[in-house]
Amino acid sequence: MRHFRRKASGPLVAIVFWTVASLITLFPVYWMFAVSAKSRVQLFGSPSFLISSFFTENYLSTLSDPAFQRYMTNSIVIATSNALLVTALALLATYALSRYKLPGKENLFFWTITNRMAPPAVFLLPLFLLYTQVFVVADVKLFDTKIGLILLYCVFNLPFAIWTLRGVIDGIPKELDEAAFVDGANTWQVLTQVILPLAKPGLAVTGILTWVFAWNEYLFAATLTSVNARTITTGLAEFVTVTGTNWGRMAATAMLTLVPALLVLGLAQRHIVAGLTFGAVKE
Amino acid sequence: MAPVTITNVRKRYGSAEVIHGVSVNIEDGEFVILVGPSGCGKSTLLRMVAGLEEISSGDVRIGGKVVNDRPPKDRDIAMVFQNYALYPHMTVYDNMSFSLRLKRRPVSEIDSKVRHAASILDLEKLLDRYPRQLSGGQRQRVAMGRAIVRDPQVFLFDEPLSNLDAKLRVQMRAEIKELHQRLKTTTIYVTHDQIEAMTMADKIVVMHDGVVEQIGAPLELYDRPKNLFVAGFIGSPAMNFIEGQVSAVNGQPAMTTDDGVVLPVSVPRALLQTGQRLVYGIRPEHITLGEGGPAAHVSVIEPTGSETQVFMKLGSNPLVGVFRERIALHPGERLGIRLDPGKAHLFDKTSGQRLA
Ligand SMILES: Nc1ncnc2c1ncn2[C@@H]1O[C@H](COP(=O)(O)OP(=O)(O)O)[C@@H](O)[C@H]1O
Ligand SMILES: [Mg+2]
Repeated sequence: MRHFRRKASGPLVAIVFWTVASLITLFPVYWMFAVSAKSRVQLFGSPSFLISSFFTENYLSTLSDPAFQRYMTNSIVIATSNALLVTALALLATYALSRYKLPGKENLFFWTITNRMAPPAVFLLPLFLLYTQVFVVADVKLFDTKIGLILLYCVFNLPFAIWTLRGVIDGIPKELDEAAFVDGANTWQVLTQVILPLAKPGLAVTGILTWVFAWNEYLFAATLTSVNARTITTGLAEFVTVTGTNWGRMAATAMLTLVPALLVLGLAQRHIVAGLTFGAVKE
Repeated sequence: MAPVTITNVRKRYGSAEVIHGVSVNIEDGEFVILVGPSGCGKSTLLRMVAGLEEISSGDVRIGGKVVNDRPPKDRDIAMVFQNYALYPHMTVYDNMSFSLRLKRRPVSEIDSKVRHAASILDLEKLLDRYPRQLSGGQRQRVAMGRAIVRDPQVFLFDEPLSNLDAKLRVQMRAEIKELHQRLKTTTIYVTHDQIEAMTMADKIVVMHDGVVEQIGAPLELYDRPKNLFVAGFIGSPAMNFIEGQVSAVNGQPAMTTDDGVVLPVSVPRALLQTGQRLVYGIRPEHITLGEGGPAAHVSVIEPTGSETQVFMKLGSNPLVGVFRERIALHPGERLGIRLDPGKAHLFDKTSGQRLA
C-alpha cells in the first residue's frame, strides 16, 4: 500500500501544482471576459467576478464596428505576412549559413542579432523620419501602410528567427542533402522536399513566435500608422479617451483578439512533432 | 553502364593537399574497391567521382565524357552512404522512388521499378515503413534499393557495411556481390577492410596517404605486393617482416638478420648490392615446420579449430605462423621452421619497393 501511495503522490502534486498555475494564468483572461459580458450599469453597480446574465451588446457593437473590422484585418494581414516572410527568409538564410562555406559567416551570424541589443524605442524617431520623409517616392510613403509595418517587423524578427532555425538546420544531416543531390535533385528541390519537411517543427515554432510578436506589437504600430494601417493593439488603446473609457467594449475587443491567436497556435502546434529526424542516419 | 576514368586527380582543402595525383581506370561493368587505412582519401576520391566534392585538378570521365563540372544529378550515378542517409520523413517506398519522381517518370513505371528492386532486396513487406522503424540491415537494404531503382551508369558505395554487425556484414557482402553479378553495373566501392576488398573486388586499388600504392586483382596483390605498405596491408594475419642485410652463402645470395640468422633468397644477384638493407617478407601460411632451417622459439599458441596460429620469435624478430595441422606445442619450446625462398617477398628497406 505504501508503495502505491508513494507512486500516486507524484502525479497528484503535479496535478495540483499545474491546476493552480493555470488558474493564476487564466484568471486575468476570465476577469476580462467577465467585464466584456456586462453592461456599464452591471459593471459599476455591484462589482462581482460572477456573470449573472450575458450582455451581448459589447460584442455585437464591436463586431459591427467598421473600425474594429479594419484593425482586425490589418492585424491579421500584417502578422501573417510577417510570419510567412520571416520564416521563409530565415529558412533560406540558415540553409546558406549551415551548408555553404561563406567567409566570415560566423561574424555575419552574430551581426544579425545586434539590432536586438538596443531597446526598440531607440529606433523610433529615426524610423518615423525614414517612414515619413526619406522612404518617399512621389506621393508614396511607407508611413501608415501595412507593407511598412510588415517590413519593419521583418527587420526585428528575422535575426531572432535565424538564431532559432540555425540549430534546427544544422541538426539535419548533410548526407541527406547529398543523397538528394545524387538522386537528381537541384538545390531548390533539396530545400523544398528534404529540408523543409524535416525542419517543420522548427519552422512552426519560428512562425508562431514571429506571428505573436507582430500581433502584440504596440509601440511601432502606434507611431508609424495613423488611420489606414492601424492594428488591433493600437485600436484597443483608442477606447481610453478624455471623456472616459468604455471598459465593456474594450474587454470585448480584447477577447476577440484572442481568437485568431488561438487559431494560429492550434494550427501550428500540429506540426511541432519532436524526433522527426530519427532514423535518417545511424547515430 | 559505363567505364570510369580517373586521371591524375588532386584534391586540396585550402593549402593542404589530401589526394596527390591519383589515376585509376575502371572498365565497364567492373567491381573496383578502393581500400586503405582511415584518412587516406578514399571517401574524398569517391565523392569527387560523385560530384559532391570539387576536383582541384585532373579529370574524371564517366562513359568517356569529362564530368568535372557537372553536378551530381547530371552524372547518372547512384551512391550508398556509410550512414545510409535515408530520408526520415519518407516511407521506404518513397525513399526508393524519390529519384524517379524527381525525373517525373510515369507512376506505373515508378511502381514497377520500385517493386522490382524491393523483390530483389527482399523489402516487399517493408515498403510502407519509415526508416526509424527498420533495423540496421534493413536500412542498408533500402539504401541499396534507392540506388538500384535508378539503373545508373555507376554505383558508388562508401563503406556501406561498416555500421553492421559482423554476421550481417558477411551476409551483405555476398548479397552485394550477387547483386553486381546480376546487374553488371560499374561499381566503385570504398572500404578500409581488406577482407571485404579481397572477397568482393574484381580489382583493388590500395590507397595510402592520398596516393595509389598498387592496383590489381585481389590475388595479384596478395601474391606480388609492389611495396611494403601493400604487403603489410593485404592479408590477415599480416605478412611477417624480417629486417637484414645482403650477404652470400656458398656464392648464393642471402640475407643475414641483425641477430645473425641467415635466410637464403631467390633474387637475381644483379638486383642486390653488398651491404644493402632488406626487408624479408613471408606470409604466415608459408612458414613450414621442419629441421634444417633456422630455429624459432614459441611464445603463444592460438588454436582456432581449423588451424593453429603460432606466435614465435626468430632471434628478436616476432613471427606468426598458420598451420593446418594441430600441433602440440608449448610456450618457450624450440621450433624448427623452414622459410621457402620461392614464397618469400624481398623489399628494399629504404625505398620500400619490391625487388624482382
Ligand atoms: N572538408 C575537409 N576539409 C579539410 N580536410 C578534409 C576534409 N574532408 C576530408 N579531409 C581530410 O582529407 C583526408 C582524407 O579524408 P577521407 O577521404 O575522408 O579519408 P577516408 O575516407 O579514406 O577515411 C583526411 O586527412 C581528412 O582529414
Ligand atoms: Mg571515409
